[in-house]
Amino acid sequence: MTRTLFDQELEDVRTTASRMGALVEEAIRHSVQALLQHDRDLANSVIEGDSRINSLHLQLREEVFTVMATQAPVARDLRMLVGLQYIGAELERIGDYAARIAKRARRLADQPRTATYVELGQMADLVERQVHDILDAFIRVDKDAAIAVAKRDDDIDRLYRRVFAEQISALAADPDHVEQTQYLLNIAHTLERIGDRVTNVAEDIVFLDTGQVVELD
Amino acid sequence: MAANPTPRPGLHPLRQAVTPEQIVEDSALDAEQRSAAAEIAAPAGPTKLTVDGLSFFYGDFKALDKVSLAVPERQITALIGPSGCGKSTLLRVFNRMYDLIPGARAEGRVTLDGEDLLGKDTDLISLRQRVGMVFQRPNPFPMSIFDNIAYGPRILGDRKGLGEVVEQSLRQAALWDEVKDRLKKSALGLSGGQQQRLVIARVLAVQPEVILMDEPASALDPIATLKIEELMQQLKEHYTIVIVTHNMQQAARTSDQCAFMMMNPQRYGELIEFGPTVEIFNRPRNKLTEDYITGRFG
Repeated sequence: MTRTLFDQELEDVRTTASRMGALVEEAIRHSVQALLQHDRDLANSVIEGDSRINSLHLQLREEVFTVMATQAPVARDLRMLVGLQYIGAELERIGDYAARIAKRARRLADQPRTATYVELGQMADLVERQVHDILDAFIRVDKDAAIAVAKRDDDIDRLYRRVFAEQISALAADPDHVEQTQYLLNIAHTLERIGDRVTNVAEDIVFLDTGQVVELD
Repeated sequence: MAANPTPRPGLHPLRQAVTPEQIVEDSALDAEQRSAAAEIAAPAGPTKLTVDGLSFFYGDFKALDKVSLAVPERQITALIGPSGCGKSTLLRVFNRMYDLIPGARAEGRVTLDGEDLLGKDTDLISLRQRVGMVFQRPNPFPMSIFDNIAYGPRILGDRKGLGEVVEQSLRQAALWDEVKDRLKKSALGLSGGQQQRLVIARVLAVQPEVILMDEPASALDPIATLKIEELMQQLKEHYTIVIVTHNMQQAARTSDQCAFMMMNPQRYGELIEFGPTVEIFNRPRNKLTEDYITGRFG
């Protein structure tokens, strides 16, 4: 006995979530690039692209509801669908964060570069990698990989504290650039929040793989 | 490392949020943990029927192989599994219906309130009064609604207060309001769903302790099916119910405990997994159970 149609519908929902993930990953990469390279056009493209992520999220929700209503899933299948619903919500939020970074980057694009962004750049690299790796763990439904990704969130938090200290020092040394510093602090905070969302996704992956609720933060 | 999450009161240890180090692989559960997991959501209560190492034969054919389970009192226990897995056979052991089949025999031990059911000395009339049965197709007798319900009490020699017994049984079976003005009319004029509730009322009239239901709603439309399921929820306050169903959602909706059975490679029916329904349908412990309930069996 097989459930060809059901399996295809489940695969379709997973594909929608994966497409969302790919767009979110790209949005983060481009928003950080726009910041580091003072690229206004790239920032604009991230801001405009957020609507595609949002509409895929709506599509995902619709697909999840349809499969639940028509196929009466239980056990692993039910966990997968509920897990996809959770993950979709997290990805949508991460997309919003990328757009927020892009908006700050657009503001900074026309201003002279006052900081080196070294540690902010490192932090952004790490967050990008986290998003990439958690999506990989999601596609493979690999709880061990998800837990490993979540454990690296501490590195982001450490970098965040350093960026924060770095920017406060910069502000003390150069009080004329309050606005820029405030933007950079806001971007660092947003990156740190993305890290937390990645941890939430990791918890969702553990749930859909094992049926157990785990706290990873 | 993540801090230990705050335990939530009233939730079983295996359902609490855990740290990564505390995640339990099903395959790594030892017997004690499995047993603890099986108790999740299982209300404590006495056992009504106990099956211990039951094997069952139709002549040379072995239909059940060493089945053991405990049916809790005043709960609904569902038996699920593919055709030929022995679930109806198991159901029929509980009131010795198999005695009617030449060459059929049971080995092992089955008790009702601790009393052996399988012995030669078992009073079958008394047993079948205590353990009533409802079949797949409604089988009203070709007589009036009243006489259908009064049939059992009359056989048992209970002729006083029949009117009261009939009314009470029909009320318990949620049929009274629909038939109270036509008690003398033939039961064959009732709809399929009404006939099935009439049959349940007929069982109730002899004051049973256990009600066996063999696919009681499979011949009914969805509304009549839901009425039977609602009725089961009311009846379990007073009776122990064991139901065989091919409808997985019905088992999920109605039962407190669920037993999954299937044929082993020797083609003997065996019990694969038994536990609280909520566990069977959320997180079954056996891959065979998961494959079956998710429809990927075969």
